[in-house]
Amino acid sequence: MSAILILLFLLTAASGTAVVLIRDPARQIFALAGNGVVLTILFTALQAPDVALSELAVGGAAVPLLFLVALMAVRTGRRDEEHEG
Amino acid sequence: MTWLPYAVAAWLFAIGLYGLASSRNLIHLVGCLSVCQSATYVLLLGLGYRYGSIAPIFYDHPPGTPAVDPVMQALVLTDIVVGATLSALLLVLTVQAYKRSGTLDPEHLKPMSRGGDKAAPATSAKHPAR
Repeated sequence: MSAILILLFLLTAASGTAVVLIRDPARQIFALAGNGVVLTILFTALQAPDVALSELAVGGAAVPLLFLVALMAVRTGRRDEEHEG
Repeated sequence: MTWLPYAVAAWLFAIGLYGLASSRNLIHLVGCLSVCQSATYVLLLGLGYRYGSIAPIFYDHPPGTPAVDPVMQALVLTDIVVGATLSALLLVLTVQAYKRSGTLDPEHLKPMSRGGDKAAPATSAKHPAR
């Protein structure tokens, strides 16, 4: 196992840890997108280009945008409550 | 170092479970669940990887060249799609739970009452015995 693969595995573990340990959801979205990009590079190094492509689309763009939409829905709901109350 | 993918998968699953157990925000909890799922990606691709072999695409290689296991890659592809769908479903449920109960903290979620949303104080006023 080459050195770059070891480095990428350790980077994957570190970015997953960062996603868990960043408690603020608005900041966690960035960590989640970074985790998706790191997984994409890891899958490319593991000779899985098709998986890397779908992980780039899903983990790097689609899922963080879903989290962003959910966070926006929650925040607008909170603002509506403040206006009502 | 052949144990490294398994160790990383175990670490990702453990840290994801820790995040699931200790999360105080439902959106953060869905993110921790996606970390748990990335453990399965790493595990499956680490199972199918062979050192020094090519990607399973034989366009410019003769058939019979040593390649990594394409079955595991198909499984991981399915897993990624299922994971994205699961995240979307859980985020919609989170937004609905926020609309119903007004909080994102799992500790403060109340059990669902028979009367439905936001009727809990009114119900207790109508039935003081509860």
